[in-house]
Formats: sequence, C-alpha cells, structure tokens
Amino acid sequence: MPSLIEAHDRVKSVEWTPSYVEHQPRYPTRYKVPKKTKDPFRTLVREYLTMEQEKDDRQYGGFEDVLSRTSGAKDADPGWLEGLKLALPIVVYAEYGAEKCQSMLVDTVDNAELRAGYLAQAMDERRHLNQQMYLLRYFAKNAADPCGFDRGMQVRGDNIFARAGRVCFDNFYVNDPIECALSLQVVGETAYTNPLFVALTAVAALNGDHATPGVFLSIQSDEARHMANGYSTLAAVLSEPDNLPMLQQDLDRSFWRQHVFLDPLISVLFDYFGRGKMEKSYGKLWEEWVADDWVGNYIGTLEPFGLQVPKYFAHAADRMKWSGHTAAMVAAASWPLHYWRWPSLTPEHMEWMEEQYPGWYDIYGNFWEAYALLEDPSMEMIPIQGLSERPYFCRTCALPCVFPKIDEPTTRVRSYGGRNHAFCSEPCEEIFCQQPERYESTMLWDELWDGTSLEEFVVTRNLLREDGKTLIAQPHTKPDAHMWTVEDITRINFEIENPIKNLKDAPELVKQADGTLALAIAAL
Amino acid sequence: MSGAPKVEAGAAKLPRDFTYINARKRRPSEYEAVNLHVQPRLGNWWDKGNSYLRTPEGREAFIVDSTRLRHPDWHDFRDPSSLWQRPYMRMQAEQERAIERLSEDVASSVSADVDPTWLTDILQNHYSVWSFVEYGLFRGMFSASREGLSDTVVASMLFETFDRARHSQDIVHYMLVLEENVPGFDATGAKDSWLESPRYQPLRRLVEEISFGVKDWGESIVAMNLCFDPIVTDVAVLKLIGAMGPVHGDVVSKLIVSSVERDRRRELAWSEEFVRMCTADDVPAAAENKAIIAEWVATWTPRAIDAVAPMAELYDGLAAAKTPFAEVLAAAAAKQREVVTTLGVGGGA
Repeated sequence: MPSLIEAHDRVKSVEWTPSYVEHQPRYPTRYKVPKKTKDPFRTLVREYLTMEQEKDDRQYGGFEDVLSRTSGAKDADPGWLEGLKLALPIVVYAEYGAEKCQSMLVDTVDNAELRAGYLAQAMDERRHLNQQMYLLRYFAKNAADPCGFDRGMQVRGDNIFARAGRVCFDNFYVNDPIECALSLQVVGETAYTNPLFVALTAVAALNGDHATPGVFLSIQSDEARHMANGYSTLAAVLSEPDNLPMLQQDLDRSFWRQHVFLDPLISVLFDYFGRGKMEKSYGKLWEEWVADDWVGNYIGTLEPFGLQVPKYFAHAADRMKWSGHTAAMVAAASWPLHYWRWPSLTPEHMEWMEEQYPGWYDIYGNFWEAYALLEDPSMEMIPIQGLSERPYFCRTCALPCVFPKIDEPTTRVRSYGGRNHAFCSEPCEEIFCQQPERYESTMLWDELWDGTSLEEFVVTRNLLREDGKTLIAQPHTKPDAHMWTVEDITRINFEIENPIKNLKDAPELVKQADGTLALAIAAL
Repeated sequence: MSGAPKVEAGAAKLPRDFTYINARKRRPSEYEAVNLHVQPRLGNWWDKGNSYLRTPEGREAFIVDSTRLRHPDWHDFRDPSSLWQRPYMRMQAEQERAIERLSEDVASSVSADVDPTWLTDILQNHYSVWSFVEYGLFRGMFSASREGLSDTVVASMLFETFDRARHSQDIVHYMLVLEENVPGFDATGAKDSWLESPRYQPLRRLVEEISFGVKDWGESIVAMNLCFDPIVTDVAVLKLIGAMGPVHGDVVSKLIVSSVERDRRRELAWSEEFVRMCTADDVPAAAENKAIIAEWVATWTPRAIDAVAPMAELYDGLAAAKTPFAEVLAAAAAKQREVVTTLGVGGGA
C-alpha cells in the first residue's frame, strides 16, 4: 500500500486557485499568508476516523464503566459539582467558537497544508462540544441537585460571568480569522487547555467526580494537534515580515482577553469549587504552565523571529495574586443571580487558602466568615449589599470592574459615542481604543437589567426550581439548611442598577486619524 | 440558622434532564441533547439582539441576512438521521475500514482483473479528477457552515463537509493503489485535466460558482444537495463509475461510490427536511422562502445538466453501457425534478 507520506502529498496536491470566479473570503484577513508551509500532522481523513473512533470508544466506554462501578455523581462533593454547573455551559461555547474559527480559516487561509489541519480540528471541536453536552446531561440526570445542570445552556445569557465568557470566546470567531487563530490556538489552547482539561481533572477526581476526568483527558488528547495548528499558522504569518507589527499587537490583545476571563474562571474552579483538596493552588500552577511553559518555552522560541512576550503579560502576572479571589468574592456575594449554588468555605478550606496564598485570610477571611452567616434568610441580606457602591462593568471584557482587588480597583471611566464606558484596567481600555467599532452594539449585564428588582430577575430569568418558588442558586450546598425562596428575596428589596449611565463629565475619547481612540486634549 | 433542618425545597420534583429543549418526542433524544442551543439563538437567550462583539468590519457573530430565507426559529431543524459526532465517526470509520480492506485485498490482482480501457479512460482520466470536484464542494460547504443560523443545521453542514473531504481523499488513495500496482497507470494528470481539459471546464466553473461565488448558506445547501448531486454526481459518479465499474472488474470504485451514496441519501434527506422546515405552513415567510428556493433550483439545475453533459463521450464510449448517456441524464434530471416538485420548489429542467 502507498505510504502515508505519499498519500498526504497527493492529497495536498488536490488544490487549485479558482479562476472562473474571484474568491472573496467571507472573513478577510489583514495578514499576508504564504501558500506553502508545513503541516505538522499530515492529517488524513482515514487515519483521523480510526484514531478518533478508538478514543470515543474508550471515553464513552469508560463513562459507562464508571456508572456501573460507582453510584455516579451522587458520591461527588456537591460543592465541586456546582462549579461544573457554572463552567460547562461556558466551556461548551468555547468549543463552538473554535469550530466556527476553523470554518473561517479554511476559507481565508489559502494554504493547502494548513487546511487539512483545520478540517480535523473542526471535527475535534464538534467532538468536544458533544462530549461536554453529554457530560452536562449526565449530571442533569445523576447529580444530587440537578437544578442548573438542566438549564445552564438556556440561562447562561443572563448571567454576569457567562456573558463575560461569551465575550472572551467570541474572539475565537468574530474577528479577523488570523487574530481568531491567535486567540484560540496560540493563546487559548496552548496556554490554557492544560490548566483547564488536565489540572481540573485531578480536582474532579479528588472530589469524587469520576465522570469528568475521562471526558476532559480525552478532549486534551486532541489539543496537541490544535496547538500545532496554531504554531503552523503563527510560523506562516511570521515568515512575512510585513505581518510582524500587527501580529505583535494582536498577540498582546489575544493574550489579555483570554487571561482576563479564563484566569479568574479557572482560579475560582480550582481554588474555591475544588474545596481546598489540591496540593498546589492555581496560582502556583499558573506560574508553571502559563508563565514558564507558555511564555518561557513557547513564546520564548519565537523571539528570534521578532515576536515578543505579550505586552500585558507583567500586568497579568501581577493581577494573578488577586483576581481569582476577587472574582470568587464578587460572584459569591451576588449568589442569587446565578444558576449554581455557592458553597461557603469550611475552616479547613480557609486554612488551605492561607497556606497556598499567605495573607489570604487578612484580606478575604472576614468576607467568607460573614458569607456563612448570611446563609440565614432571616438576616435579610445578600452579601453584595455590603459593598459601598455598585461596581461598573467593563466595556471590553464585560466583567465587573473590581480587579485586581475590590477595594483597589484599576477602574477608569471614559465617554465615547454618546455613551459612558468603564474599563477594569489599562489593557482593557487600550484594547477598546484600538478597535472601538467592535463594541458599538455591546450591552453589558447591568445595561440590560438596569432597574429590575432581584425578585423579577430570578422569576423571569427562569432561575427558580420546579416548585416555582425555590431559587436554583443558594448560598450553601448543605442538604439540611434552609433553601432560599423568592419570598426571601422579595424581603431583601434589591434592585439591579447601572451606576454609570448618569455619570457626568467622564473624560472623552476622540477618534484619531488612524481610527483608534485617544483621550481628548481637554481631558489630558 | 433559621430553625430545624428542613426538607430541601423543590426536591420533590427534580427535572432530571435538559428542560430547555423543544424535543420531538417526550424526552430529548441524544442528538437533540448534545447539539441544541450550543449556538446562540438569534435575538433570544444569551444572544439578546446580538449585543456582543462585532468584527472590525462591523459584522455580528450571526446575522439574519446571511441567507435570504427567513425562519422564526432555525433551532427547529432536526436532521432526520439524528447524527451527532460519536455515531457519525463510528459509521464513517467503518466505511473507511471496508474501503481500505478491499483495496488491500485486490491490490495484487487489480492489474489482471480490471479492464485496461476502464483503467485508463475512466479511472485514470476521469475518476481521478473527481477528487477536485469534491474538494471544491468541501471548501464551499465548510465555509458556509460558519454562517448557518442554528447548531442543528450547522451539524449537518459540518458532517457533509467531512463527507466531501472523505470522498475526495478516497479517490486519491485508490489512485495511489492503482499507480503502485498497475504498470503505466498514472493519475497525476488529474490536476491538468481539471484546470485545462475542455471536458471539465463547465464542471469546474459550476463547482467554483457554488463553492466560492455563493455566499448565502441556504443557497449552498440547495445548490449542492438538491441540484448538483442529484444530477452531476448521480450521472458522472453513480451511473458511470458505480454502475459500470463491476462490469469492468473494478470492485473498489463500486464500494467507494456505494459508500458515498450512503452519504448522499443522508444529505438529500436533511436538505429535503430543511426545505420542508422553511416552507411549512406555519412559517410566516413560507411563500417567500418557497419562491427563493425555487429560484435557486431554477438557477442551478440547468447549470448542473450543462456541466455533466460533456461526460457523454466517456459514457457512450463504454461498450457495456446499454442505455445512451442522454437517457441516463434525462432520468437523473427527471428524478431530481420529482424531488424538488414534491417539495414545492420545482422549476428544475
């Protein structure tokens, strides 16, 4: 039989440039992409099918095996499962965005070598999203408390954090296709799939969840190919010197956009929903996997070609000390708004936090002690009411402007195009100013729900359980504690506000000759 | 804490499945559960009127105008085969194993078994070119799948994309087996034929127009699956290679074509379902949709007939072909007309 190399070379030759019609890609790129590069995997359909079918058989077979050997999800720590309620509907969207990214690249990148890799990756992404939906349904069927697993995919659009997840992952397919590839393959998959699909596997297992590890590890086994796709795309565009300036800016932007959402998310899952069972915190793993491996080893090898470590990396590293804890605190403080339950921290968990993050207790300990007390609805308070003022939402990343620390946020407010815009950080402001046209229709969570009472929000947003009165969200995961109902919420008298809308005299941003924005001279 | 432990409120009735799916049966099928609502629904749920990012050119993530067709809820679409990734991969891996096994089994005797004229005129000079046809359509469908307005429509489009890549590569694999085992066999001229041979130019023009010229994803589905395949692929692949191959000792082509036909039946079925959905009585734009699809059918059907017409010289040159090419083509066109007429979008040849 002909060799694989021979077959691959011939398959690649089945390629031509259309001459009867002018091929105008649906999504044009600013980049010059050479027609010839190296396909690191020589992916052929026949080999791909065999390989993936074997993996599917192992993974779904393993699933059935776990179900038959254990009492399934009912053994798992309920606190951990609440983290999966939050995360899976968001991660599924990342997979879908990744599939879309391939359908853009195949049209825009006129390179037969890379196209074969994009096809395999598209099928992988479909595989991953189907696997994750299968897992989500497994929990809907088997978890002790399925509420939230049953409708996370529906209600995620109304959730503060899931909306920010959408904004993060929209960057996989709502942009210049090459910048999408940078966001997805070069940053998302190369820097963050190990923390997400490998590190969280161990957390799941330690929490008695035997279903998630097999799925996540099987997903991760496809990611090496995607990282290689990213590297090949990067190498291809790097071979054209004209690309370098915009490539650097796009990489800077891609890194920040992934960091700003994914690091708080993984940190919250790992350090908080992980229940303090791991030997090392996410903060330490981040140093190894993102700082050392991705920046040091991966991006470092590209420096001879002129590519530098992302401009915002030091800023991100600095934020890592606090951003996960801040996100956890704000998300727990606003617990009734979510489609998952927020467990309070046990004394052992707080000890673990202090060990992993020395000084943690002095800053966050009081909050979590008070959080446990406020489980009781007779206190008639949800923790977010303890904030002296409502945070703004960041126009760029869509997260609340509470970072890095809630008492020392780096928030800035500007006006542009007849609207006020807050930014959680200097990079988010810079990124907005680089491409303001991308945000013309964005509606942030507080802009959508301004003036809505908490009661109306939970009722109309389908956040009540089947009895029509008990909230899905709860400030605990204890089976014997009071379950908050809509009556409890009504007594609290809390209204969603958009605090930025009436703000006067925010410094004005004005358009420059090159289309970017800068502060008006009067504001300087 | 507020008093004694209480029974978990709301625990009496737990949902125990996805509650947001408009299932066709009492409970969501596996296909519905793992596919539906992974893509935001336009204007609803977590879409909220496309209130998220745009591309630098101002395009939103998904846009109504990506097709001229209108439907109140594209998520109503269901693939009649209910395919999701796992069963799809299992099914296609099995197909590939069968093709590979048969190719290996016959490799050593293919030179003696297969009619020499068939080898040269049909396999080397014609079937080899078909890998370009499928590759072009693969690119067109892959790109169109970016724009589909629901996850279930896109799933069918993505599987078709993969099917077309599979067929293209199956031809290449078989050509390599023949080159290795048949002295003098050389299919490397396929690209030149595709680019230069007058026989293939109407076909190449058609493939390029459908794959690179059409930007409406609904039109891509109609043009490929209701016009191109039922006529061009039916005549130039199924009737020519699939039906005539065994007569000339060629069993591998027959198997590849049979495997491709399995895909075609599935693709025709979901495309018919797509048209039925767009033209159902309860769809406000049903009449407009019907007119638009009929217009597409009227555009692409005669083009398909014209593009396959030059294959007459190949078909009529085969002594074993008992029916004249014109009749074979007329039969395919009649069958396609019946399909589109039944759907109410006739206007074919």
